[in-house]
Amino acid sequence: MIEVIGLSKKYGAKQVLKNIKIKFEEGIVCGIVGENGAGKTTLFRCIAGLEDYEGKIFSEINPLKNHLGFLQTEPYFFSKITGNEYLRLLCNARNKELKDIESKNIFDLPLNQYASTYSTGMKKKLALTAVLLQENNFFILDEPFNGVDIHSNIIITEIIHKLRELKKTVIISSHIFSTLSDNCDEIHLLKEGEFINKVTKGEFAKLESEMKEITIGDKIERLEIK
Amino acid sequence: MIGYFILQYRMTNRKLNDFGIGPVIGYVLLTAGFIGLSVFLFYKTAFAEYIYITVALAFVSNLSEIKRNDFLKACFSDKKFKLLRISENLVVTIPFVCFLFFKQLLLSPVILIGISVLLGLTSFKTTLHFTVPTPFFKRPFEFSVGFRNTFYLFIISYLLTFFALFYDNFNLGVFALLLVIVIPFSYYVRPENDYFVWIFNSSSKQFLFHKIKTGLFFSSMLSLPIALVLGSSYPANVEVIFLSISLGYFFLITMILAKYASYPYEIGLPEVIIIVASVFFPPLLLAIIPYFFIKSTKRLTRILG
Repeated sequence: MIEVIGLSKKYGAKQVLKNIKIKFEEGIVCGIVGENGAGKTTLFRCIAGLEDYEGKIFSEINPLKNHLGFLQTEPYFFSKITGNEYLRLLCNARNKELKDIESKNIFDLPLNQYASTYSTGMKKKLALTAVLLQENNFFILDEPFNGVDIHSNIIITEIIHKLRELKKTVIISSHIFSTLSDNCDEIHLLKEGEFINKVTKGEFAKLESEMKEITIGDKIERLEIK
Repeated sequence: MIGYFILQYRMTNRKLNDFGIGPVIGYVLLTAGFIGLSVFLFYKTAFAEYIYITVALAFVSNLSEIKRNDFLKACFSDKKFKLLRISENLVVTIPFVCFLFFKQLLLSPVILIGISVLLGLTSFKTTLHFTVPTPFFKRPFEFSVGFRNTFYLFIISYLLTFFALFYDNFNLGVFALLLVIVIPFSYYVRPENDYFVWIFNSSSKQFLFHKIKTGLFFSSMLSLPIALVLGSSYPANVEVIFLSISLGYFFLITMILAKYASYPYEIGLPEVIIIVASVFFPPLLLAIIPYFFIKSTKRLTRILG
């Protein structure tokens, strides 16, 4: 369980997160949706402890950061580190022994190549494999499906189901609504640094149509495509 | 095209500001440093002319990197692109050419200009396709990445050691040893992305001890073979070898701590001044190391808790 109380974050004069209050339960996969700049990544970085913030964040296991697998939107890789070394680095950092790496390479990544030469999707899969091998209790998956091929999409969906089964706390963000509705137990809508709506499984379709209505409006007509 | 050079100028000014010095002071220091190092090089060795051209071409060839050139090609017409590439290569070359003329050398600056113009018309990958193997796979990051960027310098160092023994030149051997000790300092110059500090489940002190332990162990793997060979060939000079290695360890620790004392920013000017002062007066390290350690601990606590 992770509980966020009164979380606010400013960059200079710009208020990015406004008094956020939310609870992420164990065994529940929680989706966060919002437009670009709504504050999703900032919220995740605050939960991870990578940003200073006002407010409180509680978790049942402390310190939270040592048990948190954080898959970033754009994972960073050093220019000359191999996939294998990247996995080893992340496991070493959490004192986890990396055993039987070949059988755990479920995305068939070329682990002896430099990770910087990987495609966007391969980088995402490598970073996801690394946070899974760390044996975390909490997961923040920021855009886990970004740039990933259809086969790996299926595998990632199954991984998320497995994490739920194992009673892990999972937070996902995605710009593709179907990936959230397939994987999440609840979805929270973040707008301009505030949660404005929360829906559970049965209400996903309603939320999607509401979002479409708000997002699209008359924008396509205004474009006057000819 | 003028807009491109103005942009480069502004970006350089920003880098100098980030480094903690104003652009004017920065340019004065860079000019003074360049002249100082050039004079020193020509004073020290008879091969200075060749080393000088090699260094100049290394700077110029960096500008030929394929992705960078693809971007410029997409921005400018073919004619403007070629003109721009030749111009920027010459901008980099001019200080070297001027100094060579000052040294009354005529052929080498002309060759340098010629190669720079030719390089302006070519683009190539400055990174290798194959994975360079390293002995540091157990604890990857600084040494595995750094070694891959500098492995050719180690080949040169080991060759120099061979020549030192072959020609019975102990000083050359010590130079090779110092080179192997000093190269890894560069692995700690740039701060890593905060994610790679955050992932560690250790306190800031444990994190620093881990980094120091790994650094010393891997540095020893690279330098001890030369030290042992030199020690067995020149037993009377073991003290010099021991002193070189010991000082190298102290400076490596200083570099590691200096990096995290400024983290997440690049090593600042005050740290650079302190390190330079300790090069001239090494006993200062005994005060600098604890000072950087305390500062690093404070910096890292925000991320590591």
